[in-house]
Amino acid sequence: MVGKAIDHVRVLVVGAGPAGLTGALAIAETLGKGSDVLIVDEGIEPGGQLPKQTHKFFGHEGFFASVRGFEIGKKLVKRVMDLGVIMKLQTTVTGIYEDGIVLYDRSKNIVEHLQADYILLATGATEKFIAFKNNTLPGVYGAGAVQTLMNQYKVLPGRSFLIVGAGNIGLIVAYQLIQAGATVKAIVEGSSKIGGYMVHANKVKRLGVPILLNHTIIEAIGEERVEGAVVAQVEKNFKPIYGTEKEFVVDVICLAVGLQPNVDLAAQAGVKIIYVPELGGYVPFRDGNMKTNIDNVYIAGDLSSIEEATTAMIEGYIAGYNIAQKLSGKDVSEKIEKMKRELIEFRKGPFSQKVRSGLERFGIYFPSGGYREQLQIDTGPKGKLRAIIECPQAIPCNPCETSCPSGAINVGDNINGIPHIDYNKCTGCGICVIKCPGLAIFLVQEKEDYSLVGIPYELLPIPEKGQHVNLLDKEGKIVGKGMVENIILNKKDRTHIVYLRVPTGLENVVRSFSFIEHFKEFICRCEEITKDDIEKLIELGIMDYEEIRRMLRIGMGPCGGKTCRNLTLQIISEKTGIPISEIELGAFRPPTVPLPFEAILNYHNSKNKKE
Amino acid sequence: MGKALRIYQHPIIEVSIPAEKEYVKFLFEDKVIQATVEDTIASALIANGFDIFGLTEHNHPRGFFCAIGKCSACLVEVDGIPNVRACITPVREGMNVRKQAGRGKPVW
Repeated sequence: MVGKAIDHVRVLVVGAGPAGLTGALAIAETLGKGSDVLIVDEGIEPGGQLPKQTHKFFGHEGFFASVRGFEIGKKLVKRVMDLGVIMKLQTTVTGIYEDGIVLYDRSKNIVEHLQADYILLATGATEKFIAFKNNTLPGVYGAGAVQTLMNQYKVLPGRSFLIVGAGNIGLIVAYQLIQAGATVKAIVEGSSKIGGYMVHANKVKRLGVPILLNHTIIEAIGEERVEGAVVAQVEKNFKPIYGTEKEFVVDVICLAVGLQPNVDLAAQAGVKIIYVPELGGYVPFRDGNMKTNIDNVYIAGDLSSIEEATTAMIEGYIAGYNIAQKLSGKDVSEKIEKMKRELIEFRKGPFSQKVRSGLERFGIYFPSGGYREQLQIDTGPKGKLRAIIECPQAIPCNPCETSCPSGAINVGDNINGIPHIDYNKCTGCGICVIKCPGLAIFLVQEKEDYSLVGIPYELLPIPEKGQHVNLLDKEGKIVGKGMVENIILNKKDRTHIVYLRVPTGLENVVRSFSFIEHFKEFICRCEEITKDDIEKLIELGIMDYEEIRRMLRIGMGPCGGKTCRNLTLQIISEKTGIPISEIELGAFRPPTVPLPFEAILNYHNSKNKKE
Repeated sequence: MGKALRIYQHPIIEVSIPAEKEYVKFLFEDKVIQATVEDTIASALIANGFDIFGLTEHNHPRGFFCAIGKCSACLVEVDGIPNVRACITPVREGMNVRKQAGRGKPVW
């Protein structure tokens, strides 16, 4: 027996993700005694899916907007631990029985049995799987699995990826893969529109990742592991259209096709399980206080409806305060009401439409609307350095508004509103560019003979000042060449701003850049002299073929310049504008082919014989 | 062999370079696998190019899928014990990991 087994707790929280952690926080804080709460989680690290999230979260400051997911996880865990909550990791609740709850601790390989006065289930969700040919081949991985490997264990399971599903998870994984150095060949999406936020989609589109709508995967290619994927266009009923198949050479097929709530423990606890597709499939019954039909069993987070981390945190608080109120007899109704108001504000937008209609099945009504829908048309006074916000959908997020030091940005009365900017107040400081979780704010300024575009940048390598780069548009297509004018390095949270010098007229076209690849183009095969080597010398003012030959040894190899002389003269002509006929051809020195000394010796020997 | 690689530079998260890492060694199918102390069996195997963790009952290669202990695709045999979920089991110096076929050989 290792340590003293706990046989009774006042509250058992199952799951240490965002919902479970805030639930535990609310209870421990209200009771003033953290040790009354036991959190159990299967994972090695607490935080649920937070530790694998490297992007900044949406929402508002009260729920960590603009903070990266893994940082949120650490903060919540610290708060919970500071309150003295007991946490058991690598431990699974294997069953809820009439006479108690059974836990299995993997690290100690021991089963424990305990009673709890209240249970808060925050068991989250499991990734959905889909049927296609060879779908169990190693290399077909869930999106969460890919995130776990690369962001928690720092292992990239391949070099090139195909992503199935353009919901927020698929889009985020694509972006995170590029950050980790991988190539994303495409994102395929069966439906006719991108399910995730437009700002997430824009982040990957401008990096050149194609999003193929009305397409699905039909086959994983490979004998022992994934070597490729076949995708096809689909009809409205999602049936593949014969003859539209395309093949991609990829190492990993990443499935981001949705989540389903983990309802097994709720069912075992006697909670009614109801099929509500808008909430993610089978979900436990619950009321507006997150209480199920069993009086001492509450739920929160993805278990109650597939949504996102902010609403999971709020639901965790609501469940936690309700449990704490019953346990302590203290009145915390004000805190509960405050959290409910938060949830109402968050769920007013169009992306919550499914959750709102799903919850109506339980007699829970959330209002919609009341947020600003119209886009700002005014792009501000030309010539002034200013922010341009490209956030065209109503999503619950406002760090642009709360971070602006001059109060120039507002999203209106509801957090889902589309941000507008007051150009009289905007100073072009760039703080909103760094804060925006969607990386959807840019800086522009029209100058006399060029324009400046400031782009949020979270990739490697960091370009150098003065470096020439390819300018890319919103779809990731090259639209010209430009130069890095300046870089504002943000060492703290690592969203940097790269200021690009772009041709006038492209200030609202250029939204990304790529590095110019230097390919070796050989001119002289014998001495391996490249076009670049020759051009560099010409740029230094050396334009004479003989001079270039002496400096680079071009034309001095075994071929004697037969292959490279004309090419070199052409390059000189192109670079200098001097017609080729006017350029000194240079000397043709013997021998025209390499001549062995033995041949010369033979000549002398034969000559001697004759004499 | 898979084309996996360890990430030694990242624009957002802290990553350590090989020299700074602490390593452990374990056996997979009698081959010595080098893992970092933070690795799970699954992350170590994939980082070393082993994507096939075992075979299904019908002899199809089996890898992993969910990485959070839900799908049971990653079952391996550790020190003779079958049905260990490679994705949520930390590596341990000297552990003996073998591919599992189907539900594993009974240990009795």
